[in-house]
Amino acid sequence: MTTLHILNSSPANTAQLKSCLRVLSVGDGIVLTGEAVQALRAGSAAVQKLSACEHAYRLYALQEDVQARAIDTAEMPVTLLDYPAFVALCVEYARVNSWT
Amino acid sequence: MKFVINVLSASTAPSTRRALRFAQALLASGHEIVRVFFYQDGVLTASNNIVVAQDQQDIAQQWQAFITEHQLDAVVCIAAALRRGVLDQAEAQRYQRDAVNLAEGYQLSGLGQLHDGLQQADRLISFGGE
Amino acid sequence: MAQSVLLISRQAPWAGIAAAEALDIALAAGAFDLPLSMLFMDDGVFQLLAQQQPQILEQKDLSANLQALPMFGIEQLYVAQQCLSERGLADSSLAIEAERLDDLQIQQLIRQFDHVITL
Repeated sequence: MTTLHILNSSPANTAQLKSCLRVLSVGDGIVLTGEAVQALRAGSAAVQKLSACEHAYRLYALQEDVQARAIDTAEMPVTLLDYPAFVALCVEYARVNSWT
Repeated sequence: MKFVINVLSASTAPSTRRALRFAQALLASGHEIVRVFFYQDGVLTASNNIVVAQDQQDIAQQWQAFITEHQLDAVVCIAAALRRGVLDQAEAQRYQRDAVNLAEGYQLSGLGQLHDGLQQADRLISFGGE
Repeated sequence: MAQSVLLISRQAPWAGIAAAEALDIALAAGAFDLPLSMLFMDDGVFQLLAQQQPQILEQKDLSANLQALPMFGIEQLYVAQQCLSERGLADSSLAIEAERLDDLQIQQLIRQFDHVITL
């Protein structure tokens, strides 16, 4: 029974990403929204944290937040979501844990 | 599926706009919203006293329009609302305050309504912080 | 069967009112006899420390609410051991009885619940 974690704050400014990665179970998903998409910037400490996480999890990001911030995710193992896809994901996972 | 949506941020927060766009997509996808529960700073989104500049999105007004159009059960936590200055007619009278600023379509009630919603729902999603 | 809720509290007691408003959710669940468990992690662990003096800050003492939790039927209280250690609190006495969990145990805990609220 997997959990979809929704993040929304800056990985450099807050502990949100770090804490989420610690309580992540195998098969869980992470959706980066708002400032949390900064974690996708190549060469950042946050993107290293994401790849270093030993669990097998699936990574998603809200497309509008990635595009607005001109972040290049071409080389990233991340699936970009529009809102309908975001909804579908919430149905697919057993529970949604929004970090604030 | 049946969803409860928790809105925990004011209308100025990006998360409140995301909550609305999510809610709209939810209904468009054929799912049901059991309740939208406004808690913490989310109660400020239910104020009818917000003035937004012409060139900006009025998210509070859009939330109200969405709730009204789809006749959603929009509950604002009364304790959280009082301490942030969002009052309906009854509370303004009870506490002798000048302004009645709970927007049309919203109801003040207790946290029991959140729990009642969670007992009916398949999924809870919260939007808050930023 | 009632749906279960895990409430995760991550804020320090007087950093704002998030800690108090999280506790209110727990107490409300208890009042309605609903299954809710609470996990204190990140700065939320500060809520559990004994011998703090909120009155000096003219703040509400949350320990009364914390101690009321079991009386309201909210008995499953957990605290993140790693978060205590990182804050120099590994050996500190806690104001209420909370089971210390490591990260793996927290992962397992989350999977047991129908809904999760993180404040």
